[in-house]
Amino acid sequence: MIETHAAQPELQNFIGLLAEKLEGTPFAHFLLIWENVIFSLIIVAIISLLAYFASRKSSMIPGRLQLFMELLVGGLDDFVCGILGPDGKRFTPFIGTLFIYILFMNLFGLIPFFKSSTANLSTTVALALCVFLYVQYTAVKENGVLGYIDHLMGNPRGIIAFTVFIPVLLFFIHIISELVKPLSLALRLRSNIWAEDMLLAVSAQFGIGGVPLFLFNMLLVILSGIMQAVVFSLLTTVYFALVLPHHEET
Amino acid sequence: MDLLKLLTTNEIVAQIISFLLLMALLRVFAWKKLLNLLDERRARIASEFKKIEDAQAAIERMRVDYDKKLAGIEAESRARIQEAINEGKQVSQEIRENARQEARSILDKAQENIENELTKAKHELKQRVVELTLGTTEKLLKEKISGDKDKQLASDFLDELEKVKGGEG
Repeated sequence: MIETHAAQPELQNFIGLLAEKLEGTPFAHFLLIWENVIFSLIIVAIISLLAYFASRKSSMIPGRLQLFMELLVGGLDDFVCGILGPDGKRFTPFIGTLFIYILFMNLFGLIPFFKSSTANLSTTVALALCVFLYVQYTAVKENGVLGYIDHLMGNPRGIIAFTVFIPVLLFFIHIISELVKPLSLALRLRSNIWAEDMLLAVSAQFGIGGVPLFLFNMLLVILSGIMQAVVFSLLTTVYFALVLPHHEET
Repeated sequence: MDLLKLLTTNEIVAQIISFLLLMALLRVFAWKKLLNLLDERRARIASEFKKIEDAQAAIERMRVDYDKKLAGIEAESRARIQEAINEGKQVSQEIRENARQEARSILDKAQENIENELTKAKHELKQRVVELTLGTTEKLLKEKISGDKDKQLASDFLDELEKVKGGEG
């Protein structure tokens, strides 16, 4: 169940095993290249089916699945609106989807022969890029191009506006800060989940004697997986809050 | 730099598409439907609470109204009972008065009848006495008068008179 790539222990998944069986064929090569995307698409399918079945016969008196989805959706809406205010409701679908997607991907690695796509940097970079682009789009849309540049310059007013140096310096600092945000998001998520997977793979190497340790690590992985999804969503919400016009300024 | 080697553009693009696909699907199945449903339910619960509060207020208003009406009805019934009592008293007074008057008129009529009967009886007695006197006188004049005969006539007259008196009594 454990294979080692470049001296790194890794829990095997069904796509890896299939690729091993078909070794040397183009399909095996395809599977190995798109492994993470395939797992992501499986998760997309699972979440979509859950949402479909939950909302298919949605009624005022909900069933169990509808109740679970309502709790999740309602909770995420409260979470987003709690930070961004009632106006933040329009960001709930984006941030909520992000949370559910990351959570499922993080926990998917706990199922035997499956893998956490978020342990892959390309996946987390893709998600961070989505966040970065949407935040920048929102910033420009809400403040206007000049307004956003003004925001990046630290809204210089009065005497500070005449000292070109400080606004320009702030502008560059903010640009760097904006670029670092997706990088930090991607690296944090990938590193944590990758480390969790490593932890599980290492503890699985101990065999039967390592089962208690493995179970304990599984609990840690569940906790950390949930926490990482919350952190990613929370930071995304905060990034939106930072670029939205502040009521005190208006 | 080692980390950069882990990045593949195709995978990044595919993951972005995968995320956008999920967002589109969830927008249709979850966010739109379920958030609308939650809002609808929230609004419905609020409206139901409002309805309940309105109904409670209406019931309270009705209770106050009924209390007022009940108090009015009680006062009215008391007044009507009093009126009926007074009317009853008046009717009984009238009945008593009528009965008294009727009794008096019956008594007066009886008295009058008695007096009439007495007058009539007296008159008849007088007529009888006259007739008797005339009859006796006629007998006396037609027959030869003797001592025993006179006594007999006087005695008959007196008997007749007694009979008349007895019949009148």
